Amino acid sequence: MWDASQPKATAPMIVEDWDRLTFRVNREAYRSEGIFAREREAIWSRHWLYLGHETEIANPNDFVVRTLAGRPLIFCRDSTGEVRAFLNSCPHRGTVLCRETQGSSKLFQCFYHAWTFRNTGDVAAIPDEQAYQAGEDFRAAMRLRAVPQLASHEGFVFVSFNPDVRPLLDHLGEAADYLTMIEEQHVGGMQTLPGVQLYSVRGNWKLAVENAMDGYHFSPTHNTFVGYLRESGYAVTDDDQYAYNLGNGHSLLVLTGHGGRISMIWEPRFGADERVRTQAHRAEMAERLGERRAHYVADESHILYVFPNLLLFDIEGLSIRQLEPVAAEQTDVRAWQLVPRDEEPAARALRMKTVVSFVGPGGLATPDDIEAYEAVQRGIDATAGDARSGLDYSDMSRGMLDEVKGVQGRSIDEGAMRGFWRRWVDAVGIPDGLHSSGERPASFLEGREMR
Amino acid sequence: MTLANSYGTTTVGARAVSRPEVEDFLYAEADILDAWRYDDWLALFEEGARYEIPTTDYRRWSPHESGSFVNDDWDLLRARVKRLKSRKAHAENPPSRTHRLVSNVRVFEESTDALRVTASFVVHRARDGQFDTYVGRYEHLLAVTDDGLRFRLRRSILGHEALPAGARLSFIL
Repeated sequence: MWDASQPKATAPMIVEDWDRLTFRVNREAYRSEGIFAREREAIWSRHWLYLGHETEIANPNDFVVRTLAGRPLIFCRDSTGEVRAFLNSCPHRGTVLCRETQGSSKLFQCFYHAWTFRNTGDVAAIPDEQAYQAGEDFRAAMRLRAVPQLASHEGFVFVSFNPDVRPLLDHLGEAADYLTMIEEQHVGGMQTLPGVQLYSVRGNWKLAVENAMDGYHFSPTHNTFVGYLRESGYAVTDDDQYAYNLGNGHSLLVLTGHGGRISMIWEPRFGADERVRTQAHRAEMAERLGERRAHYVADESHILYVFPNLLLFDIEGLSIRQLEPVAAEQTDVRAWQLVPRDEEPAARALRMKTVVSFVGPGGLATPDDIEAYEAVQRGIDATAGDARSGLDYSDMSRGMLDEVKGVQGRSIDEGAMRGFWRRWVDAVGIPDGLHSSGERPASFLEGREMR
Repeated sequence: MTLANSYGTTTVGARAVSRPEVEDFLYAEADILDAWRYDDWLALFEEGARYEIPTTDYRRWSPHESGSFVNDDWDLLRARVKRLKSRKAHAENPPSRTHRLVSNVRVFEESTDALRVTASFVVHRARDGQFDTYVGRYEHLLAVTDDGLRFRLRRSILGHEALPAGARLSFIL
């Protein structure tokens, strides 16, 4: 719970000044274990969280285990084909039930006392069960504990530990259509592949969100990647690209000028065969989706953020990135490659090479992003507890004048980050978390006109 | 795979390669990498060679059909070296200090001009007040040339379940 006696925490988390057009975030938000605990309760225990993709458990009885918001879970498809999520903990004494990372099984048996459960959650066997006087009631009470809410949209499976959470589509809002656009990219839809990047960064999870919604860093941080593209015949640009707040904390960055995408936007480094494939695929999309829809699906590169733990990098190829906060100063990251189900081997091979040339802890770009989160996390120690007013704050003011004018913010401004932080401060519910002075706009631009 | 035809020696085409020759090649590479001599490192590869690091859930699948940490063809490998030599490779500027141990070297005949080499590695990396350890196994293909051995495929397979906090792969593993 929030400890109001902590003096540092009484300073506002966000300070907006509409006269000077400045927006500042209290650095305690990145380092305080008290705030981390509050986030666990107010965000991670109450909102929808991305769990995984249906294609990770393609067949009946498939399962994977995954820790989400600190809770060990089993994500599985039961014998009837229904997607389920259970707490990976034996109802008897709490032992981790499934100690494999993935596999296929109709039953989960706890090794400790050999209690056995079907993948529907029903108790299959309790050794020497007649010793329990309650009989069927006892058995019913010992079903596997399901995560209270589970829902799926376009193959993306979300869960919530809050039984009273609002419907998933209400939460996703405008982000839902961008997930649909991903599923529409290819006839036959999309699937995840094996080869999951599991890594961890020494930084707060919100630094990873900021970095993904920050087009401003691309040229300086990814200087060497920009140089690699230039040498291959592609000129990076930030012109005419925007950052959209999609509501509910979700946001979208359009980064078409940062590089091509396999089967969507051709670049010289992809080679002549891929050019032919891309042209044919673009024509097929226009036919299937209509030209206007095909334009948004194909001709733009996106980074989509779905509050709080899902990032979709529709750049280079398509990567799903899931954030799992471990502590205020550490975040586990998981990344899957999402690919067309039907893809010829040469195109698949090019895609796999291209995606990880940029994305992931061994790529030519993501390591510099990780360096940025970690360098921020270390650097902000410098101002911790500094009594001088306003020093222990990070600045995210870029492009605020557009917010006053009601003009769509550019990808190289910080409007998507401000949208995230405003949603965050509302969600964590810290009293007086937002301090606003001057004349605040009555509303902020939200969503995007695509019709 | 064939057994060595005399103890500690593997014959490839007309050439007999001893295990110490392979070990010296791996030790020399470790020294080159620990000294950040990236041009010298690239010279250990034959043209068209590959550099791969599978993800920690690796189950022998092809990098062309799965996610990877590193999936470099010859173009990307050269781009990686160029990047590492730049002051703008921020994740490695200043460069990580590394210290590499290579052991358990085994040598097998792969083809008429190449060896398959397996070995264990421990790479210690110091940076930013942290000290990380990477443990795993090399499974390389080495071309046997008149000038000595050259990497045809350089593959580092991590022994970890996941990369621990801060342990990114911004340097050569």
